Amino acid sequence: MRTVLPALAAVASALTAPLFLGPYGHYLLCMAAIYAMVALSLGLLLGLGGQISIGHAGFWAVGAYGSAILVQKLALPFLLSLLASGLLAGLVGLLVALPALRVRGHYLAIATLGFSLVIVHILYEWDGLTGGRQGMFVSRPSLFGHELGSDFQAYYLILAVLALFVWIVVNLRRSLGGLSLSALRLSDVAAQSCGVNRAGATLFVFALSAAITGVSGAFYGAILGQLSTDSFTLVVSLSFLTMAIVGGLNSVVGALLGGIFLAYAPEVLRAFEQWQMFIYGALLVAFMHFLPDGLASLPRRLARIGRRGDA
Amino acid sequence: MTWLPLLLSGLAVGSIYALIGLALVIINKATDVVNFAQGEIAMFGTFVALSALNAAGLPVIVVLLLALPCGFLLGALLELVFIKPISDGPPLNVLIVTLGLFFMFNSLAGIVWGFDPYRFPSLFPTEPIAVAGAAVSPASLGIIAVTLVLMAALYLFFEHSRYGTAMRAASMNPFAARLMGIKVGRVATVSWGLAAGLSVVSGILIAPLTFVDQQMMISIILKGFAGAILGGFTSLPAAAAGCLLLGVTEAYVGTLATSTLKDSFAFALIILVLMLRPGGLFVKVARRKV
Repeated sequence: MRTVLPALAAVASALTAPLFLGPYGHYLLCMAAIYAMVALSLGLLLGLGGQISIGHAGFWAVGAYGSAILVQKLALPFLLSLLASGLLAGLVGLLVALPALRVRGHYLAIATLGFSLVIVHILYEWDGLTGGRQGMFVSRPSLFGHELGSDFQAYYLILAVLALFVWIVVNLRRSLGGLSLSALRLSDVAAQSCGVNRAGATLFVFALSAAITGVSGAFYGAILGQLSTDSFTLVVSLSFLTMAIVGGLNSVVGALLGGIFLAYAPEVLRAFEQWQMFIYGALLVAFMHFLPDGLASLPRRLARIGRRGDA
Repeated sequence: MTWLPLLLSGLAVGSIYALIGLALVIINKATDVVNFAQGEIAMFGTFVALSALNAAGLPVIVVLLLALPCGFLLGALLELVFIKPISDGPPLNVLIVTLGLFFMFNSLAGIVWGFDPYRFPSLFPTEPIAVAGAAVSPASLGIIAVTLVLMAALYLFFEHSRYGTAMRAASMNPFAARLMGIKVGRVATVSWGLAAGLSVVSGILIAPLTFVDQQMMISIILKGFAGAILGGFTSLPAAAAGCLLLGVTEAYVGTLATSTLKDSFAFALIILVLMLRPGGLFVKVARRKV
């Protein structure tokens, strides 16, 4: 009961929130859900797999451009292009996972960063396909031939796909595959001697994480309506990492809160004008000092403070 | 003799990367984190130096000499206030704190000094000098010389001084070091100070060649990080060598290609190197056996 009630409340508020908001509110909700997918994928890679990536903007770009090109140039239906962009990003993820078989920690961080810079550079130079410097226009998302013209309609499609990913990730964490990943993170030697295939598991978690991020990228392009390579810089990769950790790496709830944080923090901070980024930085520092396990641990923390108050 | 100026300018840029790369390695040895704010500390220090030049009218050379101790104080203070309280937590949290510091310094510089680029007075004569029939920029030679002096000082400090040895011990095995009476917590503070001092010097060295603005160090810290990884992130000499190599390689590739292509090329090369030598070019990874 203790977990079911809050979960029901969260689902209910996610479903009804758009009814009380205007078009800009719908747009922000879409963005929060899109970011939450990326946070989910990073939680998988980092929290479960123990592998760092500061190049997730690269997978995001592959998904965004992949889907946009398939819809625009090959007239593929949006749902199919969504699937294809996930597969495409997953394949690129496999490629990026190759160094992860050899290197870890800071070395892996630089390798993933390098890959994302190269990927985005290729997209930038490939003028004929991606529009290069000018960027390209992207059609609205559609469902079985019906265009989802407003963000209000698109939000429910994004929410459905997000729910699908949440379901996959929750089950993966509990499955044998998830447990092997956990074992590898804690001690790869012990895990391998128990018969866990390290190479296979590493390739799998990278590919799945990249695929989820790719689908998120496909939605991002379709909601924004246009793409340029400026949306896929190192700063974007780093803010993904930030939101995943601020939300909390070890739970699905953390990923959802991280997505909300990344979408809404700039909006709330806009009032501070030139102090905006300073306060954002100070917020990150404060979160890490006072909520080291992320926003997801807030209820537990409050409960502990409450208990201390009673005693 | 057209290769000589190119080699020297490559080495000069590589020296700047090396100072930042060394700073990153020193902090990583003490705190086990890549300090993303390193470049912004350098940028902030350079702005302070510029203000000292303009307001107090100090000679350029005095400012350069003051950079190391002043940077040291700033770095040590940052460690005490922001890093020490959470140093027992997960390293990823410390990483996010350094990102937070990045944003704070970056925007604070914009708020205090504005967003326009400033000129920084030259530290060295600007007339090119003739060496073996080739025109060589004294700035390049000066940057290389200052860097070499700093590297030699670091080598002497870490290899031959009592406190340097203690710092190495604390990084190798903090537990054993503590048993030997080394204050491991203070080592982290000193490491942050040292690293910040080195990076402020690098900022002041590069400032006359570029401009002083809020974004001046962003690509440099990336290259310093990449160069240090290329050489080997666990060893100071290997990291410095990797940065110098990256600077020279870039200078040669730069004559053949555009600057964005240059960056992609550098990173593609680094990924390739890591596939073949996972510990960096100059560090041999001990094979783990079960």
